[in-house]
Amino acid sequence: MISLYCSPGSPHSAAVRIALAEKGIEHEERRLELARFEQHAPSYLELNSQGTVPVLEDGGRRLTESFLILLYLDELYPDPPLGGSGPRERYLVQKWGKYLETSIAPHLAIARWAALSGRVPARARGGLAGLPEERRALWQRAGQGFDAAQLAASGRALLIAGQRLAADLAERDWLVGDGFTLADAAVFPHLAQFDAVGIPTPPVVDRWIARVAGRASVGPIAADMVPLAVMGPEAGRWG
Amino acid sequence: MLEVHTWEPNANSGKPLFCLKEKGVPFTYHYIDMGAHEHFSPEFLAINPDGTIPAIVHDGFVMTESTPAMEYIDEAFEGPALRPEDPYKRWRMRQVMRYTDNVVAPSLAMIASNRLAAPRFVGRDPEELRRELARIPLPERRASWEKLMFNTTPQADIDESARRVSAAIARFDTMLERQPWLAGESFSLADICVFATFYALPMSHPAEVNEDKTPNLLRWLRRSHARPGLQAALAMGRGFISQRAVEIRSRLGVAQAHAA
Repeated sequence: MISLYCSPGSPHSAAVRIALAEKGIEHEERRLELARFEQHAPSYLELNSQGTVPVLEDGGRRLTESFLILLYLDELYPDPPLGGSGPRERYLVQKWGKYLETSIAPHLAIARWAALSGRVPARARGGLAGLPEERRALWQRAGQGFDAAQLAASGRALLIAGQRLAADLAERDWLVGDGFTLADAAVFPHLAQFDAVGIPTPPVVDRWIARVAGRASVGPIAADMVPLAVMGPEAGRWG
Repeated sequence: MLEVHTWEPNANSGKPLFCLKEKGVPFTYHYIDMGAHEHFSPEFLAINPDGTIPAIVHDGFVMTESTPAMEYIDEAFEGPALRPEDPYKRWRMRQVMRYTDNVVAPSLAMIASNRLAAPRFVGRDPEELRRELARIPLPERRASWEKLMFNTTPQADIDESARRVSAAIARFDTMLERQPWLAGESFSLADICVFATFYALPMSHPAEVNEDKTPNLLRWLRRSHARPGLQAALAMGRGFISQRAVEIRSRLGVAQAHAA
């Protein structure tokens, strides 16, 4: 039996929930309240020392990193295939996964933190002590608030991301190939939050967002995706 | 037709070279002189508008992300498999690559480029440097190059990178205590990914990577350096890297392989 530790507001959680729904994989959900910093509780840090969601448990296996979980699920449950058809599509799917983690998710987290006036309440500060140094530093930086230069850089990165999606969607309905893939499952929950943080998206991207949200598997999950002021992956520190 | 536009057999630039030599796949190597900023030239930007290396072109299909491109190479070409079959073992392989690509390699790149590249810009005309910066397409890359050219990388950032590299050295040494290769029993893309940035650590970080402190990592480095494919890729460089590889092998007591 698969267990998914997740939070409905987290785009990374939503990506895995979408893949599980698309494939019809039976599982149970264990939900964390990120607003109450349950992801930093010692019992959760034993599951994932990074203090991030989601975590997928499959028998005795424990997996982290949402995009790598998506690839695992697709290889273990290949029906329907979502990893792309043939090596070229699979390359493009993985390229989107990499781009999401390095160029979208970190900046969305920063823009979201600012838009939602995120703060680290006194009762949550103790939990930071249990995090690895780089996660703790990121949260401490968030607690102090991001400066104007960082907010501008993150805003620019998100605008560029919207343009890159628009370029790939100019002649097709889905990010890779002719059908819905893990690239759509992974990227959609993040792009769906751009509006809430005040980042405009090109019309062709808006149509794609509506197309993904309209899938039977995605609709209920998309309805759950309320943006939360939590940190995502760390932004690149060197080029 | 398979063409690899890249710099030396080092870090991201080297991944396709290591991977293709391990697979035994023939390819054409187009050397991009990073020192001369050829990756920002109009000719290269026509292939990869982002101005990042490597760029791998297979029958017109352009790939610019080095780790996904290695997975492509493993899938699209004959030769020994470089990924485990089992999905969970693959997840472990990808976890190592993700950590290396996002945390370890950028830290090593920050340290190495500040040590090796930054001095080249001292005394140069700032206006000329600004013009070179303006050719760099990606804002995040431009920001890093600006720090290098004007020697403004904060010491705290360099210290944090050193901390991360030390943590990675310890983590990999521990992993290699119980398994010969980073993803388990078999050599995989994870080993290539780490080798591409770690191959010279016994020389560049001798106080941290040595027989006493990291015996398992050292054994892995010996096993890796002994592989004909990795040796052949290291020999493809045009600068100091190929010579340094010979020195490292000699220091590690690894013999030169024949025919790769």
